[in-house]
Amino acid sequence: MASSSRDTTGDLFVRKATGLVRSWSVFDAFVYAAFSINLVTLGLYIFSQMYFLEGGLLPTLLISSAFILFEVLVYAALIAVMPRSGGDYVWQSRILGGGIGFVLAITGWWFILWLWVPLYSDMFRHLFLTPIFGLLGAKDLALWFGQNPLGLFLTSLVVCGFVAFYIAIGMKWYARIQKYCFWLGLAGLAIFFGLLLFGSPEAFQMSLNQEMPGLFGTAENVYTATMAAGQEAGAAAPMVGGGLGAILMAMPFMVFFNLWPNWGTALYGEIRGATDFKRNFSGMAWALIITTALGVVFFFLVQKTFTWDFYMNANAAWWNYAWGYTDQVPPLPIWPNPILLASMMLPGRFLKILVVLLISFWWFGWSGTVFLSSTRIIFAAAFDRLLPEKVAEVDEKTHTPVVALLLMVVPSIIVSALFAWNVFSFQSLTLNSTLVIAVTYLGTTIAAIILPYRKPELYNASPIAKYKVFGIPLITVGGVIFAAFLIFLLYAWLIDPLQLYGIGLANTSSIIFLLVMYGLAAAIYFGFKFYRKRSGINIDQVYQEIPIE
Amino acid sequence: MTTIFFATDIHGSHVCWKKFIHSGKFYNADVIVLGGDITGKAIVPIIHLGGDSYRAVLLEQETLLDGEDAVQDMEKRIQSRGYYPYRTTPDEINELKAQPEKLDALFSAEVRKTLEQWLAYADEKLADSGIRCLVTLGNDDAFDLDDLVRTSKHVHLADGECIPLDDHHEMISSGWSNQTPWHTYREATEEQLQQRYASLVAQIKNPRQSIFNFHVPPFNSSLDQAPEMTADLRPRFAGNSLVPVGSTAVRAAIEEAQPLLGLFGHIHESKGTARIGRTLCINPGSMYEQGALCGAVINLGRNKIKTHMLTTG
Repeated sequence: MASSSRDTTGDLFVRKATGLVRSWSVFDAFVYAAFSINLVTLGLYIFSQMYFLEGGLLPTLLISSAFILFEVLVYAALIAVMPRSGGDYVWQSRILGGGIGFVLAITGWWFILWLWVPLYSDMFRHLFLTPIFGLLGAKDLALWFGQNPLGLFLTSLVVCGFVAFYIAIGMKWYARIQKYCFWLGLAGLAIFFGLLLFGSPEAFQMSLNQEMPGLFGTAENVYTATMAAGQEAGAAAPMVGGGLGAILMAMPFMVFFNLWPNWGTALYGEIRGATDFKRNFSGMAWALIITTALGVVFFFLVQKTFTWDFYMNANAAWWNYAWGYTDQVPPLPIWPNPILLASMMLPGRFLKILVVLLISFWWFGWSGTVFLSSTRIIFAAAFDRLLPEKVAEVDEKTHTPVVALLLMVVPSIIVSALFAWNVFSFQSLTLNSTLVIAVTYLGTTIAAIILPYRKPELYNASPIAKYKVFGIPLITVGGVIFAAFLIFLLYAWLIDPLQLYGIGLANTSSIIFLLVMYGLAAAIYFGFKFYRKRSGINIDQVYQEIPIE
Repeated sequence: MTTIFFATDIHGSHVCWKKFIHSGKFYNADVIVLGGDITGKAIVPIIHLGGDSYRAVLLEQETLLDGEDAVQDMEKRIQSRGYYPYRTTPDEINELKAQPEKLDALFSAEVRKTLEQWLAYADEKLADSGIRCLVTLGNDDAFDLDDLVRTSKHVHLADGECIPLDDHHEMISSGWSNQTPWHTYREATEEQLQQRYASLVAQIKNPRQSIFNFHVPPFNSSLDQAPEMTADLRPRFAGNSLVPVGSTAVRAAIEEAQPLLGLFGHIHESKGTARIGRTLCINPGSMYEQGALCGAVINLGRNKIKTHMLTTG
């Protein structure tokens, strides 16, 4: 029977009541955050595209990560003050207003994920399909998947199906799959690093020249030919150095990889105290710090065994071709997948396949994130009557939100086709995927900055109220620093004074794409607000606080 | 047309109770319904250190309080989180730690004292308002609170009753839940719940025009998704694994009777709406510790729900 009281610390007496749980595991929180800033998928993909920049990749990684620690602080603090709220959408809606919250959340957590689908697919084909088919002896199929627009489009369809499966099985099973994928992926990463650690430039060069002709039909001495092609393509990025200005201007690329430690945030459960704030902060911060450290280790190991010059030249040669600056297929006719390249030093095909397979679990465990976040925001908007009720319905038989899924999948397929065949220069929009979410984060960060002043009672009764810097709330200080970082990124992307990112005002496709997205979000908001008003529903009341006497 | 405002699981939050009482006026509702779990979960001692000095630890943050104003301010903060502030001494703290039955008695007294204040507030504010206030007690609420609620002039205890809301709609209410890992007051097996619901449904004239106000949501309805727990009550996979924990008996009752509307709570994280057959099911969720009153405004038409909206007020 229930009448007993428990947990008698002397500072707090707690009854036995529903929902009172112990703290979650920081390690688990770390695992999910580490998946979000995914070195193998996001990291390797964007490092390879940074070949033409002049800022050193290593200091760029370190400095950007230092700024992103403030993002971790902002999000951990918001969760401590407003747990169980559902994240950016509700935080912004409650602090900044429903319209801003809707437009920024719907673009950052739904619409832009349409663009992430072909990006996830591009990573999938380069990390898994092309290497695996090549290693299995299906050279032509491997090259077709790696080079052909239809190959990318078909991969996008496979990815949509795969991720829809994750939605159908639900969070219970996805959380388990992610955990297994983490350990398997970690094993793959350890072998990969081991290969680079114990390999030598000579052994790598020899094995590359020996294996690649058989696997992908390259000419003899692909190593030297790749070096030459990379030079011609403009490979420039150093590992270190490059000057502070160049390093700062490389950050808008780097954040494609590391801006996301908050995606693994545990949003559930009642925050019971400052310890929970620290646990949330620790889970995300350690994921950021350790992934950054692994990135640094990767750079040094690449330099040691591939040599930095070869790595960047191979990247330059590939992307110069993939982005259509030349019709000439590079000597290495596939994306220079560092795992595949390192596996060349292994004897026999089985071990090579094993390494590629193991490391691909970083993609398999991570890929569900592309639609899961979107379905959540679609549901939240429907509950707020800003979308039809139908979109939040879950099919009884399949346990799948069919309409919400269609709202993700159908536009994603269209965007994937535009991306695959580079219609309207869609392949130049890669960094828009990051820009739009950064805008959403900026909204949340502004909400965090003003939270202690807009909602003083809520803030003062929270576990972080006592954290101050020179008398200013820590959440405000952290927010100002992170907001400055985001504003710098947005300036760099949009104004693009050095024409580095290709998504700024000079790129008409990019600007139209952004305007369409934000315009569509605003149109949905105002359209539904008008429609609901005619039906007798006042949308403004959704987040209006009830006055009390 | 009748307008209902429904909220639930305010767990001792003074702010949420006051907002609930004012919600009828704010949302132009004819009837305001509270779905249970009004009791707070913890007592925060404010320990007298001598003179005008006190010490309190709220959310693991220690605060030294100097003077009555500071103490009152802390009491408000504690209450805004849904906890009970309690002025005490180091000696009494030791006694409470050593004697659980004294702590039980203290909890009971604090809960009753708070509820008495709430009912007095409601009686004052609702008098002459024309707004009906129906309250159900949930699985976290002790049984002795039923009689206390019944002493109110303007707050009606709805648990176990079939109440006409207008000429066309009746509402049945139950604050009981299926079994939880916390072994709270009003828990029952699914078979027992089935019997309980059957006897309530039998009181309704027209089940298809009725409203089921049951504290626990229907199983696997998407309104019952809670973090999966380990045996020692830690969220598994850092809270990322969600599992359905609702009641199969509630689901069966809805599937069979197909009422117009189902109002639920219990699972704070699982805010949303869902359809089971023709029945619109709503769990407005709860953010009581933030002083935010999650609710739902529902306009009932004669044979349908004209409009509904979830709110965070």
